[in-house]
Amino acid sequence: MSETPTTLGGRSPVARVLTWVLVAIILAWTVIPLGWMLLSSVKPESAIKTATPTLVFTPTLENYARLFGAGNDITPFAVNSVIATVTATALALALGTIAGYGLAHWRGRGRKHLAFWIISTRMAPIAAVILPLFIIFRHLGLLDSVAGLILAYLSFSLPFAIWLMSAFFADVPRSIEEAALVSGASRWQAFWHVVLPTVKPGLVTTGVLCAVFSWNDYAFASSFAGPASQTLPMAAGRLITQGGVDWGQLTALGVVVTLPMIVAGLAVRRWLVTGLTLGAVTAE
Amino acid sequence: MASDLKVVGTTARQGVRDRSRSRTLLRPPSFEMRMMAPALLVLAALSLLPFLTLIYMSFSEVKLLGGLRFEPVGLENWQRLFTDPDVRASWVVSLIYLALTLGLEMLGGVLVALVLYRITRGRGLVFALVLLPMFLAPIIVGLLGRFMTDYTIGLYAWVLRGLGFESDVLGEGTTAMIAVVAMDAWQWTPLVVLITLAGLTAVPPPLFEAAAVDGAGYWQTLRSVVFPTIKGVLLVALLVRAMDAVRFFDIITITTNGGPADATKIIPIRLYETAFRFREIGYASVIGLVMLLFSIILANVFVGVLGRKGLTK
Amino acid sequence: MNRPLQMSRRALLRGFGVGAAGALAYAALGACGSDGGNAPAAGGDPWKRFQGTTINFISENTAPSAAIAANTKPFEELTGIKVNIQQMELTKLVENVSLDLSSGTAGYHVIYADPYQVLAPFSDGLVDLNEFIGNDEFPQPPLGLEDFIPSQLEAAGRFLDGQKLFALPYDTPTMIWQYRADLFEKYHDRMADDLGFDPTPSINITWEQYFQIADWFNKNAKDDVPYGTGHQAKQHDSLQCDFSNVLWAYGGDYFAGGQQLGTLGTKEPGKSTLASDAGIAAAEFYAKLLGIAHPGSRTWDWDGVGSAFQSGQIAMCPNWHEFAAGNEKALPGKVGYAPLPKGPARSANIWGGTGIGINANCSEAERGAAWLFVNWATSPDTQFMCLASEVGGGTPTRTSVYQRPEVEEAKKRPSKLPNILTADAVNEAWKQENIGLRPKVATWNELDTALFTELSRMIAGEVKPDAAMRTVARKFDEINKV
Repeated sequence: MSETPTTLGGRSPVARVLTWVLVAIILAWTVIPLGWMLLSSVKPESAIKTATPTLVFTPTLENYARLFGAGNDITPFAVNSVIATVTATALALALGTIAGYGLAHWRGRGRKHLAFWIISTRMAPIAAVILPLFIIFRHLGLLDSVAGLILAYLSFSLPFAIWLMSAFFADVPRSIEEAALVSGASRWQAFWHVVLPTVKPGLVTTGVLCAVFSWNDYAFASSFAGPASQTLPMAAGRLITQGGVDWGQLTALGVVVTLPMIVAGLAVRRWLVTGLTLGAVTAE
Repeated sequence: MASDLKVVGTTARQGVRDRSRSRTLLRPPSFEMRMMAPALLVLAALSLLPFLTLIYMSFSEVKLLGGLRFEPVGLENWQRLFTDPDVRASWVVSLIYLALTLGLEMLGGVLVALVLYRITRGRGLVFALVLLPMFLAPIIVGLLGRFMTDYTIGLYAWVLRGLGFESDVLGEGTTAMIAVVAMDAWQWTPLVVLITLAGLTAVPPPLFEAAAVDGAGYWQTLRSVVFPTIKGVLLVALLVRAMDAVRFFDIITITTNGGPADATKIIPIRLYETAFRFREIGYASVIGLVMLLFSIILANVFVGVLGRKGLTK
Repeated sequence: MNRPLQMSRRALLRGFGVGAAGALAYAALGACGSDGGNAPAAGGDPWKRFQGTTINFISENTAPSAAIAANTKPFEELTGIKVNIQQMELTKLVENVSLDLSSGTAGYHVIYADPYQVLAPFSDGLVDLNEFIGNDEFPQPPLGLEDFIPSQLEAAGRFLDGQKLFALPYDTPTMIWQYRADLFEKYHDRMADDLGFDPTPSINITWEQYFQIADWFNKNAKDDVPYGTGHQAKQHDSLQCDFSNVLWAYGGDYFAGGQQLGTLGTKEPGKSTLASDAGIAAAEFYAKLLGIAHPGSRTWDWDGVGSAFQSGQIAMCPNWHEFAAGNEKALPGKVGYAPLPKGPARSANIWGGTGIGINANCSEAERGAAWLFVNWATSPDTQFMCLASEVGGGTPTRTSVYQRPEVEEAKKRPSKLPNILTADAVNEAWKQENIGLRPKVATWNELDTALFTELSRMIAGEVKPDAAMRTVARKFDEINKV
């Protein structure tokens, strides 16, 4: 099935060479900064602070060790990040899935407006959301708490999950559900036992994308989180000090923050396009 | 993988089609409503409440020290909006930033997709590598950008110096703008690639063959066969990117924080500074509401585009 | 005119001098120090009253806080209080403190209260320390408040009201001229011949001559160092600091109240005087100077210029004296220090000292625990510990510490306390006629932003110096509503 696409453009040797040259350029553009980050994270400080880039050095895990070292331990940051991300994602997924089903099949009159409202909450500019949330959280005593962060993350994860899951549910043929209903299942049973299992890829994709956006958040965390709730991206700020920027540790931190998301993201790459366009473009 | 991507209809439309059929059998219509209720309640609390607060604050002076207090000031904050050259300047910067990032990402994304579409061997690996930047935290992208362009130790700064560019990239208004745009483009061009590839894959191969038979060249095929087919998905890509480009400001925060000479002070940075550095919450709320309006317009277009039939197929 | 500048000779000379009386006083009262379990505990250890409390200290990522963060054990043993130290960049600190004080709860209990960016705008959110001082239930500052350098106590601790005390002086960075002594020595004769004056850095060099020296390095010493001078001219608070040195040297100032507004501050600063002839002359010179500075200057704050200097990118720069510890590590024995050059009016060396205070949102126990920390962190022993720290701490705010014999000794290389190598320069810089104080006004953060944004435009060549200063002055007046 995937053998056909090369019909766009010539198959001459020149075209082929040109293609690979372009691929090389594209890869260089994308991969060099990442590779450099990875490389610098295992460099000793002396090899980072050179005017001419160094490629030959004795690799060391010292930067990673110092990230977890005494007085500078990022473990509490990581714990907060994991709790906030996992909880917000789980809640968004649970609520968003059932609501997504509802949205996909609800035929009420305000449907269009409802759908629009949901999507617009996902698209609201973060800076404009932080401001009132800050005041509300202050009033409720939710500042500097992981709970506050979870709510903040829900504010964009939940609409995202509803909208996306509804796109996945819309693709499920209604006949299978109807069959279940005919054989005496309740609506909920039909949903739970019959429809839901068919959207597993959707669940995973939605979950991963919610998690990526929560995990990578900086703006909300740096406005709401205090000493009791700081997340991993905030740890970066501590490494820019009067003694200079500790690029070794910063790049190591970059790797630590990035790696889990890359693994998760690539795991669902088949459905990424659906996820990131909120269902406007769908993969099968 | 890329090759099995297919563009299909969407949520809103999909349901509409089988309406007539399902009505008869799935009678109690409130089941859907009940399913939506919990999420909608939470969402209402998380969005309507802040929205109303924002509106209320825009007519108040908000005091934070020694107890939260709102003092009504009428239209003062709104009047200020129309006479504030700094905010206007920030909107101009924002629009330039938007135009540049979107332009670069759309153009780059389509080009990269056309190239990737051509390769057969190693496609999975290349594709995976190209996607990577999307998974980075924007704050890490910004820091990495700073690291790469650091005048003293940066790899790219070193390369640029080798090419005869002596200034500090983040030190001049124009180059700083280009740099933050490039960082955003580095992170998000892959998304456009992804979407475009999905669109390309949906072009039925017979169309290419027909074009080839007609003796159409590469560019001609692109123009007459490919672009008309993927126009729809490109529009989706554009809108998705536009909305996110308005949303995020982490990269600029960590690199230039608006400088030098306010050359990169996009509107969210201005809002944040007004609220949390100058503590003018009321005025910041006005700026926030205008931003919100802007993104609602974008979202409206997005939903409108989705609603139009035959877009992606 | 003299009153505010009691960072006076008397105190300062006493500070850096050998002062036998002070030394005696120290010896006598030394036992009150907060060392280990040696607490001044008569009847129920007052240091242990808040055992089990946890407090958070938010600080700029400065050297003294790095030193304290690396060594909180003594405090935890002394008090049984756990202290978390959060360090961050100054802009972020100001935002976070603003957010936290606004939150109505206390996320951070002890606050690094930059006198201009935190104390002046947020004094309402800080505890008046008179609640503890003179109150027997709490341990008192060892050697009393008198041991703090008096003018610093006023500048870092008070705002508007001469009675209230919001913070105790914690660090005292001051901008001085830092230069590559090795390169100045190597090129001394050639430079002197070419330029027609002795280029050795001192308070007698003018800014104009500083410019010529930098230019000379640019043209003649590329093999040793790429650029003559570097500056902290990012669109950031640091740009305001760097420019202020020149502004005052040329006889300009922010407001008619001038240096007097730098200690107690004012509610009504009046119209800005930045667009005066002197202010414009200063801006013109500054634009010219930045024109030949290292191109990285426009992206550096103090940390950036510090690393550039340490990695051999520039021959000299004005920077906070606390960077000496890092300099000595990176370029041992190769760095010299002098007060900043003078302009037509004087040599002006901006003082950037900061106090630490207590968040008024704290609960009772947190307040008490926070006081113990504030007291401990500013005590002579801790100040000495910072000075001696491996991670390069700050310099003391306590007169008595300067009188300790080991501190005296450290003024010579090889020094165990590298920051003290700057003592002669800093001592000179702290003199009333040389110190530079910013105005303390509640609107400072907006004023500061207006100034450094416009300066950034000026350096980028978008506006002419005179237009820039006029714009800034107008914005100041708008912000202050005068």
